[in-house]
Amino acid sequence: MRLVKKKITIAVLLMMLSSIFLFPLSVFGAEKEDMANGEFIVGMEAAYPPFNWTQSDDSNGAVLIQGSNQYANGYDVAVAKDLAKTLDKKLVIVKTAWDGLLPALTSGKIDAIVAGMSPTDERKEQIDFSNNYYTSNLVMMVRSDGDFASAKSIDDFTGAKITAQLGTFHYTVIPQIPEVQQQQAMQNFSAMRVALESAIIDGYVTERPEGVTAQKANSHFKMVEFSQDGGFQTSEEDTAIAVGVRKGDPNLAAINEYLNNFSVDEQNALMDKEIGFQPMSDDEHQAWYRQIAAIAMENADLFIRGAGMTLFISLIGTIVGTLIGLLIGVFRTIPESENKFLAFIYRIISFLVTAYIEIFRGTPMIVQAMVLYYGTALAFGLNLDRTIAALLIVSINTGAYMSEIVRGGIFSVDIGQFEAAQAIGMTHRQTMIKVVLPQVIRNILPATGNEFVINIKDTSVLSVISVSELFFQGSTVSQQNFMYFQTFAIICVIYFVLTFTITRILRFVETKLDGPDAYVPISNQMQVE
Amino acid sequence: MSEKILEVNHLKKSFGENEVLKDIHLNVNIGEVISIIGSSGSGKSTLLRSINLLEKPDGGEIIFKGKNVLSKGYNLPKYRTHLGMVFQSFNLFNNMNALDNIIVGQTTVLKRSHADAKKEANENLKKVGMESFANAKPSQLSGGQKQRIAIARALSMNPDVLLFDEPTSALDPEMVGEVLKTIKELAKVHMTMIIVTHEMEFAREVSDRVIFMDQGVIAEQGPPEQIFENPKEARTREFLQRFLK
Ligand SMILES: Nc1ncnc2c1ncn2[C@@H]1O[C@H](COP(=O)(O)OP(=O)(O)OP(=O)(O)O)[C@@H](O)[C@H]1O
Ligand SMILES: [Mg+2]
Repeated sequence: MRLVKKKITIAVLLMMLSSIFLFPLSVFGAEKEDMANGEFIVGMEAAYPPFNWTQSDDSNGAVLIQGSNQYANGYDVAVAKDLAKTLDKKLVIVKTAWDGLLPALTSGKIDAIVAGMSPTDERKEQIDFSNNYYTSNLVMMVRSDGDFASAKSIDDFTGAKITAQLGTFHYTVIPQIPEVQQQQAMQNFSAMRVALESAIIDGYVTERPEGVTAQKANSHFKMVEFSQDGGFQTSEEDTAIAVGVRKGDPNLAAINEYLNNFSVDEQNALMDKEIGFQPMSDDEHQAWYRQIAAIAMENADLFIRGAGMTLFISLIGTIVGTLIGLLIGVFRTIPESENKFLAFIYRIISFLVTAYIEIFRGTPMIVQAMVLYYGTALAFGLNLDRTIAALLIVSINTGAYMSEIVRGGIFSVDIGQFEAAQAIGMTHRQTMIKVVLPQVIRNILPATGNEFVINIKDTSVLSVISVSELFFQGSTVSQQNFMYFQTFAIICVIYFVLTFTITRILRFVETKLDGPDAYVPISNQMQVE
Repeated sequence: MSEKILEVNHLKKSFGENEVLKDIHLNVNIGEVISIIGSSGSGKSTLLRSINLLEKPDGGEIIFKGKNVLSKGYNLPKYRTHLGMVFQSFNLFNNMNALDNIIVGQTTVLKRSHADAKKEANENLKKVGMESFANAKPSQLSGGQKQRIAIARALSMNPDVLLFDEPTSALDPEMVGEVLKTIKELAKVHMTMIIVTHEMEFAREVSDRVIFMDQGVIAEQGPPEQIFENPKEARTREFLQRFLK
């Protein structure tokens, strides 16, 4: 028994290792140098124009986003570049989800947040902030053809359906509007823009630079500005934005010294310049199907890479998960040892295995991704590569499901075959390898295929740890072109083609494996040699 | 008197409170064919399964070629290769065709080369009249055919003793004959066999000795003529009357 396990463990390890090496080196090459001295690693969403956005070339001084072939640009990028120069370090930009910025900083995955973030008291409990590098006003984004397009003050929004980004102070000022129907806060600007365009909401609260950008990018949007008296009451701590650093960061003094010389006039000049740099889509006035075709052509490379990454993570995750499932399934068939010590060890492992299965089946993968990726950094100072973290999560998660499926697969091999194998002198190990496992593998094949298809879809949640799979690429593209329906229609088709093809291939393999139902006896002349 | 190959002494087996085997004594000589008859639940299967240790006896001895099988450190898998077992429900390996069912034990347990194992398998397939089904999967075979493959599988390990647990009970009546015929052929060449059966005609024809079990003990044993025509014990008579009616 021990031998089988060893072999399987080695197989799992080899699989993990080879997957690491097979993976496009560009991605890993960049990440290898993480945390090396001389780098200033800055986190931002790269999706909050004009503070920060993603573009596909290095025009206007854009900076390559780590682990991708995309570039970040915007007001924050310009400031980050100056800061890096001041600190005499090489600037590295890491695209990080808004919710992930704080944990990424405290766990040491990035050195600073330059992401249009305001230095609120709440945040100050966890991290330190520099002096302000911009101060902005709150505005309201509405539909240009909607009822609120001509609003002048927040009172004009009485009874409107309004929202703002989750975790921002924008959301907390909404109750200042009389009788407002405050909607659920949304994860990011893409979501709010889609909601606004499709009239799910009447408006969202944002800051002026973002508003200017959105209005410029999409003619369906209009930014409503308020006079001093007609607008939201805000505190300076909210409207200002500053650079976030880890508590006690020795670089803070140098950063502040630089920012002290960065006057308000310079700030406004830079902001105007950056707003002018924002990538605009020229596809806006075409028919929607032409837009889809154009987006598909322009981003084919990106989508193919995303689909490749999705397939890669799902495939490796499913294979490793299935091996984990088989290992656990086989482990559970081991007859109780007569040796007291071995029996004790067996029971401990048994308990751990049960705990593993219950925990991973009982929590969402998106949460597991957050805990594993940021938790390992926080608890052990371990800086996991995002792709490896993704592979780990999908594998472990799949393993938990597969071990139950394997258990069922083993049960479905009738006890008589175990006894027959025993009766001709086979050991438990031989019985498993020769008789039981081949049948289990055939039995679990449909369920494994199903897991694979589920994984292809579920890996989309890994965008929370910025894994560049298909959904993440779709978000990136749509944040640049503001054409959410068109972009995600393409993503949708790609997902469907992936899952449909795989389902068909698996069906075909199954029927091939089973062979014909009827048997034609060999004629007597044609004896078996 | 021929040579003793297997000896069971004071064999006991309980399932919880249920004492299924009570102090069983049994000697088996080389070349002997023994039938075990008895009513349902009398412990016939448990006795067979205890002999090749599919069930762990609670007490007593099983002496095979002079050595106690239950003593510590005895090589159990090796012992089992000396006893072939044929089950009521065939228990073929569903992932293999007929030929591989017969080969796998030889190559994995006896470490025979694949070629040798295949040769042995083909000989035994011929013996049970199944040579034209070598490549058939179990799901493509009838019950009688499966059982003949199971017999070929057991034979290919070259066992010293063959154990049969109601080999025809799961078969449609028209298939019983082909399996019994195969066993009779083995009896002709003096294969040592212990056969649990409800086929009284067959037991009478094929056996050197018939054992009647009742409530966990051997109630009576003797040559078939004695058991079937002139039983000494009242319970034997009662069983046969009930059964032959
Ligand atoms: N694994 C087991 N666990 C508990 N009780 C068992 C087990 N196997 C057999 N028994 C019990 O042992 C007794 C003898 O069973 P056994 O199968 O040996 O009878 P048998 O003589 O072979 O009967 P049949 O002719 O119906 O096959 C029965 O009462 C049965 O319920
Ligand atoms: Mg029985």
